[in-house]
Amino acid sequence: MEIIFIIGSYILASLTIILFRRQRNIAKATSVVVSIFAFIESMKVALKVASTGAYSFMFFSVDALGAIVMLIIAVIGIVTTIYSLQYFIQEKAKNIIGSTRIKQYFVLLSLFFAAMFLAVTSNSPILSWIAIEGTTLSTAFLISLYNKSSAIEAAWKYLIINSIGLLLGFFGTLLYFIPVTSLLENGGLITWQVLATNAVHLNPLISKIAFIFVLIGYGTKVGLVPMHTWKPSAYTKAPAPLGALLSGALLPVAFTIILRFKLITDTTIGPIFGQNLLIGFGLISIVFVSFVILALNNYKRLLAYSSIENAGMIALGFGFGKAGIMAALLHTIYHSLVKSSLFLSSGNILLKYHSARLKDVRGVIKALPLTAICFTIGFLAITGTPPFGMFLTKILIMTAGIKNYPIVSVIILLSTALLFIGFFKHTSAMIFGEKPEGVQSGEISIWLVIPQILLLGIFIILSFYIPPFLQKLLNDVVTQY
Amino acid sequence: MVVTILIFDSYLKTGNLSLLFIVLLTFVVKVILAPLFSLRLMKQHQVVFSAPTYLNTPLTFIIIATLTAVAHSQKFYPLTTIIPAHQSLSALALSLILISFFLIVNRKGALSQIIGVLTFENSIVIFGIFSGLEQSVALQIGIIFDIFVWIIISTVFISMIYKHFGSLDVTSMIDLRD
Repeated sequence: MEIIFIIGSYILASLTIILFRRQRNIAKATSVVVSIFAFIESMKVALKVASTGAYSFMFFSVDALGAIVMLIIAVIGIVTTIYSLQYFIQEKAKNIIGSTRIKQYFVLLSLFFAAMFLAVTSNSPILSWIAIEGTTLSTAFLISLYNKSSAIEAAWKYLIINSIGLLLGFFGTLLYFIPVTSLLENGGLITWQVLATNAVHLNPLISKIAFIFVLIGYGTKVGLVPMHTWKPSAYTKAPAPLGALLSGALLPVAFTIILRFKLITDTTIGPIFGQNLLIGFGLISIVFVSFVILALNNYKRLLAYSSIENAGMIALGFGFGKAGIMAALLHTIYHSLVKSSLFLSSGNILLKYHSARLKDVRGVIKALPLTAICFTIGFLAITGTPPFGMFLTKILIMTAGIKNYPIVSVIILLSTALLFIGFFKHTSAMIFGEKPEGVQSGEISIWLVIPQILLLGIFIILSFYIPPFLQKLLNDVVTQY
Repeated sequence: MVVTILIFDSYLKTGNLSLLFIVLLTFVVKVILAPLFSLRLMKQHQVVFSAPTYLNTPLTFIIIATLTAVAHSQKFYPLTTIIPAHQSLSALALSLILISFFLIVNRKGALSQIIGVLTFENSIVIFGIFSGLEQSVALQIGIIFDIFVWIIISTVFISMIYKHFGSLDVTSMIDLRD
């Protein structure tokens, strides 16, 4: 029932905001209350799955992976919603955005959350597909929220590329249905469990073709190279909290769907085919970003490319098999927390400097001291600097691959070094240096800093201590996948 | 229209009344509303429908012919013989999938891209029907609703693109090039 409550409350929230559009604070209050509620309910689901295992009812089913991703969405959701309140107050004060647009933002944000929760908890692959398509439709207008030419261009690119990708994914999904006979006689609802049971009867060649389509389709949403082209534009033009959600929450959601299809494919043809594809896409993504990173001139683009690189790292972890899965899972959690924090920092910097260009941003440590510290910690964490958790996960992923894929591991090691240099070059130039004249010193609002500290705090705690229920969920995922 | 006829044919064969509902829904969304939105857009912005492409016409035809041949080749037999009696129809649907994908990539007009995406979706549905992979009524309604919302959103975007760029040619969008 918790899942129905979560999805229902988000839909109700969006309707409430539409109905009471004249009430100034209803959108903000409703969004915060619902995000807190979603977090509590997600925690209940996680604890339930940790203690009693996966469960399903009606059109929903939650396994350990689903429970972890639900928690990620809920945590990033609550923090970005709180951040959004103050962020838009500041933007409104600067006449960047009007009240109507802010209300639109909260309506679409609620629908976006509902779609993400539905995608990971639905027991039907087609319903998951509809929900993932729903995330595209709800966020397209959020990317073009500022109604500028460049924002519309980014949103159009996002809409078209993701729609094509998801249609490819839809085609791949249909192919998995071939061995399941009498669809309409059984009420037609093909669940993940039904697909897994019938996977042994699937033609191996069709299984391979289907997984390629699914990987390309949902991989577009994840942002793996070469399907990543929408990502830098969309992340750059979207409001900062949305960037945090796209990178921190939507990425693991889309990846979950890929992993569920991989599990079915593995039953038909064994794990090697799926693993090799994940390694291939992961490797290309990381190497591509390591070459691009030095030439970037926009800090939001820098974060977008870092997101592509980390998606590649997660793909590699799952590609390297059992030894890499635990590291890939932890990497997914850490990445969501740190990248979301970095996007929120980028929002503060944008509010202060009115520019996303790297050359315009100097001396952040003087202009926004706390944000600068958060951004620096985020940079160190995301690049895999010790002692943070992402150092360990990157090392574990490379170690997992060194035995069977030594060349890949060495290339990743070199690419990671290049990425650190690129990130360091841009970040040090932003943080230090002479602050431009006219840029006032001091944080804009403490409510724009607390969300970053919260995310980094959770990340640092999880770097050194994993709560028993989460450890149980992680172990279950490793066993299952 | 072809999709509607095919689902109607399924209804005649099975007598399943819920399929008739899907027929009506598909007819309203894909045969009436989608063209209506496109025509309204063209009238509103006084644009003439044209399909400028990145590749020239002979090269476009060569690629389309190649894709059709590929879809009919033996390599794709496992895909086109899911229902062996429908082999040639499934191969036709598969070639339509490949061609519509190519058309989206090759065309410069935003409106053409929308039509390409809708054709792509229709061709996948047709392939599904010929391969006996139809979905439950509830999911079909979900998919059609999804497409309906997609049409509305893309139509709004077309208006926004025209307002900001003065053209529906996507090559005029150069604000994001670094």
